[in-house]
Amino acid sequence: MVEVKLENVVKRFGEVVAVDHVTLKINHGEFFSFLGPSGCGKTTTLRVIAGLEFVDEGKIFFDDADVTSLPPYKRNTGMVFQNYALWPHMSVFDNVAYGLKIRKMRKEEIEKRVKEVLELVKLTGMEKRYPTQLSGGQQQRVALARALVVRPKVLLLDEPLSNLDAKLRVEMREEIKRIQKKLGITAIYVTHDQEEAMVISDRIAVLNQGKVMQIGTPEELYKKPANLFVATFLGRYTLLYGIAKELSPDSKVLVETPDFKIRGIITSPDIKISPGERIVAVVRPHAFKVSRSGEEVNLLEGVVDWISYLGPYYEARLRIGKTDILVSVEPSAKVKVGDILKVFVNEEDVLVFPLTALSESSYIEELRIVE
Amino acid sequence: MASFLSSLKRLRRELDALTLTQLVIVIVILSVFLLLPIFSILFKAFIYEGHFSLTYFWQTFTDPEMIKIPPEWKWIEWTQRYMFYTFPNGTRILIPINTIAIGIDGPDFGYIFNSLYVSLLVMLFASVLGLVAAFIMARYTFPGKNVVRVLLFIPLLATPFVNAYVIGKVFGEGGLLNYFLTEVLRIPFTVVLSGLPAVILIQTLSFFPIVYMNVHSSILNIDPSMEEQAENLGAHGFKLFRSVTFPLSLPGLAAGATLVFVFSMEDLSAPIGLSGAFGDGLHNKLMSFYVFTQFKQAYSLDQVHPSAYVISVLMLTIAAVAFLIIKKYVSLKQYAMLSKGGRWNPRLRRPAILGIIAIILFTIPLVVISSFPQVGVVILSISDWASAGPFPSKLVMGYMRALMENPQVVTAIRNSLTYSGLAIIITLFLGTSAAYVVARRDIPGKEIIDTLATIPIVIPGIIVAVGYLIFFGSLFFNTWMDPFINPGFLLIFTYTVRRSPFLTRSVYAGLQQIHVSLEEASFNLGASRAKTFFSIVIPLIAANVIGGAILSFVYMMNEVSTSLILGSHNPAQGPITFLMSQVIYSSGTVGSVSIAAALGVLLMGLQIIAITLSNYILKQRVAFLGV
Repeated sequence: MVEVKLENVVKRFGEVVAVDHVTLKINHGEFFSFLGPSGCGKTTTLRVIAGLEFVDEGKIFFDDADVTSLPPYKRNTGMVFQNYALWPHMSVFDNVAYGLKIRKMRKEEIEKRVKEVLELVKLTGMEKRYPTQLSGGQQQRVALARALVVRPKVLLLDEPLSNLDAKLRVEMREEIKRIQKKLGITAIYVTHDQEEAMVISDRIAVLNQGKVMQIGTPEELYKKPANLFVATFLGRYTLLYGIAKELSPDSKVLVETPDFKIRGIITSPDIKISPGERIVAVVRPHAFKVSRSGEEVNLLEGVVDWISYLGPYYEARLRIGKTDILVSVEPSAKVKVGDILKVFVNEEDVLVFPLTALSESSYIEELRIVE
Repeated sequence: MASFLSSLKRLRRELDALTLTQLVIVIVILSVFLLLPIFSILFKAFIYEGHFSLTYFWQTFTDPEMIKIPPEWKWIEWTQRYMFYTFPNGTRILIPINTIAIGIDGPDFGYIFNSLYVSLLVMLFASVLGLVAAFIMARYTFPGKNVVRVLLFIPLLATPFVNAYVIGKVFGEGGLLNYFLTEVLRIPFTVVLSGLPAVILIQTLSFFPIVYMNVHSSILNIDPSMEEQAENLGAHGFKLFRSVTFPLSLPGLAAGATLVFVFSMEDLSAPIGLSGAFGDGLHNKLMSFYVFTQFKQAYSLDQVHPSAYVISVLMLTIAAVAFLIIKKYVSLKQYAMLSKGGRWNPRLRRPAILGIIAIILFTIPLVVISSFPQVGVVILSISDWASAGPFPSKLVMGYMRALMENPQVVTAIRNSLTYSGLAIIITLFLGTSAAYVVARRDIPGKEIIDTLATIPIVIPGIIVAVGYLIFFGSLFFNTWMDPFINPGFLLIFTYTVRRSPFLTRSVYAGLQQIHVSLEEASFNLGASRAKTFFSIVIPLIAANVIGGAILSFVYMMNEVSTSLILGSHNPAQGPITFLMSQVIYSSGTVGSVSIAAALGVLLMGLQIIAITLSNYILKQRVAFLGV
């Protein structure tokens, strides 16, 4: 168990800055995720920690030991690769025992440890199989066992579930979490799947273009995104364009859009907005509630324009003047296209950012599409 | 400065024990046994009376034997003879026989331009034949296709000299063709093909499969969806071929055509084989043959005419420039591989009946004519054809038996096996090291290693041999490493250097197929790079190592140019191909050509076994003669 620290880490590939001055600390026994779109530098950051890439600037510490220039084979990390990287010419036993043989352990000790770890990942009895004879989920477990058996200081997982089907993915992520908690090992997990990151992590670092956008617990990231990128990367949302009218000292804002007025909040003290400034507000579909009493703040009324069934709830598009908003609706509300619907939203759920943030965000392409 | 320091730091990190060892192996072998000998030719060619000078170049280029413009332009000669013809009733009359002799006296542009125009024409003809054959084989099904597929590989079976001798035996005055014309068709004229046109014919027939293989694999690598998309947009037939298929197969065509050009330029087999059939003649007036005779006859370097160095430099320059351009071009144009995924369904179609007839009218004559030299070699080896006139008259098993009984032949076989066996051991280290460094390590200047490790495919063997004679002949004068005394030892290294690219490329292809994460997983578990190389990398690419080694070995066994030039300085150490050339070129004793043919059959047998084995091991047909 170890604490991993990155100090001002920079990694360039030619002109591209893959990791851009990343500083962060991962605690003992923590399950920590790097989350971000493809090309954001999350895998590179993980490979830098493993020593498979060397930093151009900055330092990496495992507890107090500076490992920045240690080669990968002297770092004692356990890595699970995206494609599992199981050696096709070795049996399951030989794959798992490899790291122990490198450490020149006695034969009996190797057999004992391999048996234990295969039990842990529920693969007892598969020792003699070859990787090609295993299912995707089983290969995943072998890769995990191979990384764990050497009792690494830190477990590194590079999108380990991306090659599994949806159902198995849910199963395995719970499995990984269970094993990690049982061993109490520090784990660093890379994924582009926000739901996966939310479910599995103690804390998440959201990365974009090599930079850390925000670090926090899943709840913090979802409820209090520090910037527009994080707000739009996690979950579905509606963007509302408008002008900040009244600002109160407790970070509350009255926003005026062409079609209605709405109250919102500024999530972070780092965000500066002045009255009259053009802003964009992010609201999640679930934040809207169908109004019954008609007394709530932020009450909006519109025509249901489109509706889709998502299982536990409906998602409806509500047209208010020229503005469309996405709203989650309970099935019991029995909404149809063409109905007039009144919804309201708590002001803590209307997240206000300056409009300039839009152009600063690499997510702008996607934003335009959603918009 | 900062970037220099950081690249120094990177270099130090990259240079672990394994990489350092591999680099030393590659650099030492390639510099001592390739670069330094070749540079020493430059030294000889450019240094005149102790200082840099272009004197030799001037002398060479103004020599009418070297460059003859205008050429002696009498390449068709028409002569008339008379012969008695006996009617069934016994009356005999004198009838005229016209002989059309092509290429006996010209055109002769001198050594340099002869070589160039021969190589250009061979490249052109081989490209057309190869391209058409490749397109047919890649896109159409027709009856007998599998037979054609196998027969297309037969011309690639090298039977040095003897195949050219067979052509001479067919197109000579009393040869098969003229027997057919006068005795069967009763046409009162004969055709004799000799000189450079005969060289062009022989080389085209034996080299067009190189173009065929490269273009064929290029076409097979085209993602069918690209052609499907074009069809979807309305292109079909020739339009489809011209706008999509042909441009995407250009890298293969360019690579194949370049190789044919260089192979034609450095070929000694055709001129020597034709000399066996016709004696000396214009077919000898080629750069390769000129350099060969200069160095064959010389007992020491002083006896070599300086023009031989100049010609060597010229050939080397042409080959190297062609290789570098084509390498750049092919790597730039590797767009055929852009799309990935899925097993491709080959786009094969069955043409209509007219199409099938056209295909058969093209392919059947092509494979029959182009494989005839190899068939002829077999006939020569088991009959009295060499001495019997147009047809063999009886079976003679003595020539094949000579492979085991004739002491000279046995020695030559043992020499070849020894040199190739030792060379393959060195090649294993050299090839795997070079391929691994180039594929996996981030060493500054590794592009140079990449080039050096593959360029020997196109460097004329004559140049390597000349380089060895100069470099080792002067540096190790009168020692056991002097090629004028003890050429056998150095032949091991010419074989290594010339044929290692087959192994290097095979290993490199293997490395590209295993994901680098398989190695990273091993580092991650604490294994050093050396440990990872031996326990993970080598087992995973074993098939490529073995397959490549088999190919390298068999091409060492039939290596011609260095075997001849170095071998001639100590015939007792001469390998198989050297003995074959001796037998053919100075075919004094009647029937001795047949012994060369028997050796040719032995080489063909080895090649068939090797290619079958390596195809089986590598589980794919490799275009092993590509850039």
